[in-house]
Amino acid sequence: MTASTSRSSDLAPDFELTSTGSGATRLTDLRASGPAILVFVSEECPTSTLALRRLAPVATGLVESGIVVMPIFEDAPEIAARVARRTGWPGPVLSEPPPYETSRAYRLESLPTTVLVDRDGRIVSTVVGWDRDDLNALLAAATALVDAPAPSLTDEPPLRKPGCGAKNSYDPETIATLSSGGTDELEEMFERGWTDGLPVVPPTPERVAAMLGGRDPGASVGAVPPGMGEATLERVAACAVLAGCKPAYFPVVLAAVEAALDPAFNLNGQAVTTQSAGQLVIVNGPIRDAIGLNSGMGVLGPGWRANMTIGRALRLVVTLTGEGAPGRLDRSALGQPGKLGFCIAEDEESSPWESLHVERGFARDASVVTLVASDAPTSISDHQSRTPEDLAWVLGWGAASSWSANWWPLGATSLYVICPEHAALFAQAGWTKDDVRQAMFEAVRRPARELRRGETTSLVQASDPDAIVTKWTSPAEIMLIAAGGEAGRFSALLGPCLGMANQVVSRPVDWTP
Amino acid sequence: MEYVSPFDERTRGSDPLAPRSGDLAGKRVALLDITKPRGDEFLDRVDALLRERGATTFRARKEIFSKPAAAAVIEEVGAADLVVEGLAD
Repeated sequence: MTASTSRSSDLAPDFELTSTGSGATRLTDLRASGPAILVFVSEECPTSTLALRRLAPVATGLVESGIVVMPIFEDAPEIAARVARRTGWPGPVLSEPPPYETSRAYRLESLPTTVLVDRDGRIVSTVVGWDRDDLNALLAAATALVDAPAPSLTDEPPLRKPGCGAKNSYDPETIATLSSGGTDELEEMFERGWTDGLPVVPPTPERVAAMLGGRDPGASVGAVPPGMGEATLERVAACAVLAGCKPAYFPVVLAAVEAALDPAFNLNGQAVTTQSAGQLVIVNGPIRDAIGLNSGMGVLGPGWRANMTIGRALRLVVTLTGEGAPGRLDRSALGQPGKLGFCIAEDEESSPWESLHVERGFARDASVVTLVASDAPTSISDHQSRTPEDLAWVLGWGAASSWSANWWPLGATSLYVICPEHAALFAQAGWTKDDVRQAMFEAVRRPARELRRGETTSLVQASDPDAIVTKWTSPAEIMLIAAGGEAGRFSALLGPCLGMANQVVSRPVDWTP
Repeated sequence: MEYVSPFDERTRGSDPLAPRSGDLAGKRVALLDITKPRGDEFLDRVDALLRERGATTFRARKEIFSKPAAAAVIEEVGAADLVVEGLAD
């Protein structure tokens, strides 16, 4: 049995190590706020992970009592962070790379080794290996220093377990073997939480460098809500790699992230809302063909790498860099498939109208992304209308129960994806986009008394029962783009995200053919 | 294997809880209305309960629930001993 307790008045050697929480950390920083418990561990040592799992439940209480509890890994920061996650460690951890000078300074022979350092920097107690009783005594000594009650470690067996050899005592060849890894890197991505639930492409430095294409990795696009992680180009590139993007897609990903971080888009609200809305990326301009974005058959579904991975890259920036993981800071009650990633292109070539980016003030030959806070699509079939009035009526009423059956007016953007056959019918009648919007707006109206059941708007509640209420506040809330398969009279409605006071945001793509 | 992290590791630590105040008597409590429907009714009830316990209260209000509070609102509630904020509707 290697567990033992020793008492000593030795001064604890100071160190400066990398933290997974806040950069470089010194022992003097740690003990500035109170006594410090240092837990020296390593990834390969089962007794180390046992110790972390069993100390984790009492660590938060100790920290709240003013005691610092800090695991120190004889491992790289990424490995330290991964093991900390796996063991449920509730705070940051430190990483000590080879040649393990700190471990040598503490004369470690075995891991885990737990060291209690008082406020003055003296070593009060040391426990080697897992020894529940000795560690309880160490915790009691620590809490006595701050007049706090002593916690009690679990009494589940094993109560004692020998540790493993500390890496600082290994020979260089063994250390090289250990650091070569050998884990399944796709599984490791799941373990790290670098995923949206689907397999990802591991962001090796080589892949990320290729994605960056010579751009400054440290340049920042801004802070990403809701966690406000900084979107450096390197992190955005890492997300693009994870998503499966080709480097040629990166200019579109970057423009999408820039648009998403415009405060007018209110990503902050969208990222945490209980609503289902995600972030839809619409691409216009010549870059569509250059990178193979689909705007035709199956445009809202899977099948095209550029569509699938560009939308996914943006969502990974929100989910990982922005810490907006579903079920955590993302509180969406239902979610929707589009939150995995949703990117489409407009079919400018078969559209009878000005394309979206030209409507929004960009040159026809510019490449532009436009972001819309959007709910999942609903297809609207109309194979029988032969007049633009009938078709506008059918498409408009397709939105009648959007958000909620009696929520009139919406007060937010509804996006229609108009299929080529529907667009052609409008075009043959000489209808512009504004004509279509106006006809849809005027078609969908009801008296307030028919809208007073269940969830409804304050406008309906305040209106005279016979007052006419429209589904939209104005035609400007209806957004139209042309896309979809050439055969099949299905257009689609993408409902809004409400209560966000947000706008549709466009950004030019920094790209030349 | 070395990878490039998509996370901003600086933001991933957890902040310690503020010290618990223990007694409400004489405390100044900010009631932050985030403008969710019926949030004011909830705060009215909390207001009454706090006053019964000897606290004084004042209201602050966000412009809209879905956006971060303006700096002036944060400063306003920051002057209180305690803040009560309700979420959702």
